Amino acid sequence: MTHRFMYGRTARVLIALILVAGVAVFASACRQGTPQATTPIKIGFFAPESGFAAADGQSAQDAAKLAVEEINKSGGINGRTLQLVDYDDASDANQAVSIANKLVTLDQVTAVVSGSYSDQTLAAAPVFQKAQIPMIAAYAVNPGIPATGNFIFQQSFTGTVEGRAGAELAVKMLGGKKIAIVAIDNDFGHSLVDGFKAHAQQLGATIVAEDYNQFGEKDFGPIITRDLNKGADLFYMVEYGPEGSQFIRSWKTLGVKKPLVGTEGVDSTTQFLQVVGTDADGMVITTNLDRDSTDPNVQTFVKDFTAEFGHAPDMVAASTYDAFFVLAQAMKTNGVTPDQIRQGIAAIKDFNAITGKIVGYTANNEVIKPVQLQIVQNGQFHHYGVVDDPTLIQP
Amino acid sequence: MTYFLVVGVTVAVFAILALSLNIIAGYAGQPHLGQAAFFGLGAYTAAILSTRYGVSFWLDLPAALIVAGLVGVILGVISLRLARDFLAITTIGINFVMVAIFQYVPFFGGAMGIPAIPSPAIAGHEFGYRDFFVTAVVLVIMVAALSAYLERTWFGAALKAIKDDEQAAAAVGIQVASYKIAAFVLGTALAGLAGGFYAHFMSVVTPNGFGFPVSVSILSMLVFGGLGTIRGALAGAVLLGIMPEVFRFISNYRLLVYGFLLLFMVRFQPQGIVGEDSWLVHQIGRLAGSLRTGGARRDTAGG
Amino acid sequence: MFIPSLVNGITMGSIYALMALGLSLVYGILRILDVANAGAYTLGAYVGVTVFRLTGSWWIALVAGAAVAASLGFILQRFFYVPILASGPIIPLIASIGVFTALEEAYRLIFGPYIIEFPARVPLPDIHVAGVPVRGVQLLIILVAVVVLVGTWYVLGHTRMGLAWRATAQDAEVAQAMGIDARRVTGWNFLLGYALAAVAGVLVSINYDAVYPTMGDMPAYKMLAIIVLGGLGNPLGTIAASLLIGLVETFVAAYVGFLLPRDSIAFVALIIILLVRPQGIFTRGAVAK
Repeated sequence: MTHRFMYGRTARVLIALILVAGVAVFASACRQGTPQATTPIKIGFFAPESGFAAADGQSAQDAAKLAVEEINKSGGINGRTLQLVDYDDASDANQAVSIANKLVTLDQVTAVVSGSYSDQTLAAAPVFQKAQIPMIAAYAVNPGIPATGNFIFQQSFTGTVEGRAGAELAVKMLGGKKIAIVAIDNDFGHSLVDGFKAHAQQLGATIVAEDYNQFGEKDFGPIITRDLNKGADLFYMVEYGPEGSQFIRSWKTLGVKKPLVGTEGVDSTTQFLQVVGTDADGMVITTNLDRDSTDPNVQTFVKDFTAEFGHAPDMVAASTYDAFFVLAQAMKTNGVTPDQIRQGIAAIKDFNAITGKIVGYTANNEVIKPVQLQIVQNGQFHHYGVVDDPTLIQP
Repeated sequence: MTYFLVVGVTVAVFAILALSLNIIAGYAGQPHLGQAAFFGLGAYTAAILSTRYGVSFWLDLPAALIVAGLVGVILGVISLRLARDFLAITTIGINFVMVAIFQYVPFFGGAMGIPAIPSPAIAGHEFGYRDFFVTAVVLVIMVAALSAYLERTWFGAALKAIKDDEQAAAAVGIQVASYKIAAFVLGTALAGLAGGFYAHFMSVVTPNGFGFPVSVSILSMLVFGGLGTIRGALAGAVLLGIMPEVFRFISNYRLLVYGFLLLFMVRFQPQGIVGEDSWLVHQIGRLAGSLRTGGARRDTAGG
Repeated sequence: MFIPSLVNGITMGSIYALMALGLSLVYGILRILDVANAGAYTLGAYVGVTVFRLTGSWWIALVAGAAVAASLGFILQRFFYVPILASGPIIPLIASIGVFTALEEAYRLIFGPYIIEFPARVPLPDIHVAGVPVRGVQLLIILVAVVVLVGTWYVLGHTRMGLAWRATAQDAEVAQAMGIDARRVTGWNFLLGYALAAVAGVLVSINYDAVYPTMGDMPAYKMLAIIVLGGLGNPLGTIAASLLIGLVETFVAAYVGFLLPRDSIAFVALIIILLVRPQGIFTRGAVAK
């Protein structure tokens, strides 16, 4: 008797909880409303706007808003406006999958831009592929993303391409012969280093050291010292802003006078340049945004972004902004159904984006575009060169 | 609808995880802050078996369970040597080390993880979200039923005795060591099961998906619902599992609210929302009681 | 190679010691694993950088950071931790994780997600030790660590307050029976423990010229490993363990490279050592069960 009473009570508690939960989810879903055929074109978007990657999430979100605003201001897509449906994935792959399904089934978006890292983008991509909704990954570099299927595009060059360009810069332009590599231990770091190593060795340089560090690494002094002792005459540093600025601090403290090659990972004003001041002067990075470009689009973007958000745009912002313009271009030329957009993106040729001229997309949906080289002078990024050799930038 | 199914599957996976941790932390009273390591071990086992060796979902799922359980033996043996708080921190360490292994050992796919894990299939029919959801719910029911069964057996009683007072338990002839190890093996194996299922559902596994913060989430769910009870594990997984989606409208403040919710919950209801002796359970019990006596009175009046 | 590693290792170890000591003091009395202590570390840095921008003085920033964080610690223990102590060790741990999450989010919402620089100049010169550059702020960190640690050792060992602390840490009930006011000891304990974390936060953010919302993530868990190595609730053992981990991490990085994630070195060391000596390296006698 007591047993039955206990389990009865348990069951009641559970039913009550499930009801409460169900009502809550339902209520939150209803807020989205149902789409109508003639309303604005809905573009889904997700980024890590809270949690540990919030700095990049914020940049991506700002750029997404600005892009949609500017596309609408200049007449939208053949008279129809874009509507941004924006969600925070908090750097959580589970949430990214929930969001992807929400975008597909409840919001019924036409196309999607991922402003998120590889883990989340990789988890969300199959959902869009299955639903036949085109998605552009703004800056995630994991090669598994475009491999998901024909509706999934990658807007950033693959890590291999950027790594190769880095090697071209390091060996051919800066004369590195014995190279030390220090990289962040994630898909970004590993894929760039793989491309870099292969091409650098092909060009005749040797790799004297190769180390991977965790997020939050603060003290690069010991590694730099050890690599110098091994005879390194050039350093290849594949880091993000927070770790990159600590690398520069150690570099400066030790007074190293060797050439230093960086990547788009440190292409950030707020997370890198403001922190290091002029200490990074002389470093050259491979990236996709040319600050000194005479292209009026680039100048407008940099000006508008700075005016609106109080700091210069970074690589994440520029890439996200571009992803929206690529979508807009595909919609304008080829139509606004998901499949027309997919074909439109795949057919893009020589499109002048903020992050350089997009030559086109490969059969595997990877972007082909030249790699920009930027040098730090007086604490600012400036034009140094460009790697546009077709054999190098073909993924 | 798909969206609700997807949220439902995520909640179900965490419900299994909370139930699995409940066996270790709830019944046996052992602090375990690294359950995500075993969740990940199961997920990686299924991912590797299915992508590299073509093993089907129905075989790699039990394999995930077994591998996680075997590594759980090690943790169980370690737990015998360590005092409670030392053990708690060691389990954190195990979580960190496991993630480092996933990330550093090329066999586990390194930092890129393992993508393109195939969907399960029954007789040529590939799983859709509905199938995932149904399977997940069946798994939750099975694990909950197993827990309910344990609670009523000698095994459950022995764990409770160990939790209350290890020395007293040993004094009355309970084989403390064997029971502790058994609790760890069972709890970690079930986490492996959740991982194996999860890998196929997500279709990709990466090291970051199984870090210490995930362990914290699992433990938070269990404590939030009510440590030591099946309904607590389920309620915690449901409530905290849907929270990120329900609170999406306050997007920027979601985590802040989560933090405060956790703090105030354990401050004013340390036994969990539906744990033993919680306010809600008392209220519902009272309500049920009054309904019953009310009904009884009517019956008498009618008769 | 050897000397710079030594200097770096000692700096790291000093920082760890400052952070871990507060946590160890808290554990010694309440027997809780207080993750939120790392929230005080970040709070100190944010208060410090804000005050520094207003006043331009690093030491006012240091004092202000410590004072605000100490108040947080006091409030936390009085209104949250002490009332739930009876529920066992897991419940306060979850409470502290809740506090830590809420704090990190609050920092992001108030100060933004981006890195804020902390360009304070400290009054010590950059020097060379055996031809190795040592920055003034590194010297300051080591100096402050030595002063604070010696001070703590003195207070614990040679004052009535310290006696009360040790008695309460040993056996709270007996201490109470001897007329020691456990409430007061606990209050002081948290004031001191959180102030120490904040001092570490200010110094670290000057050293790295960076303050950001998630800077407490790493210390939150690594410090737990260190205080266990130090023998849980044993302040001197904690200091020794801090120096040890700081040196091991730096030397591994220098001679082997990032062989394994730096932050897991402490945990690997912990697991190995606990398997050999389950009571920790620096524990004498019985272990707190």
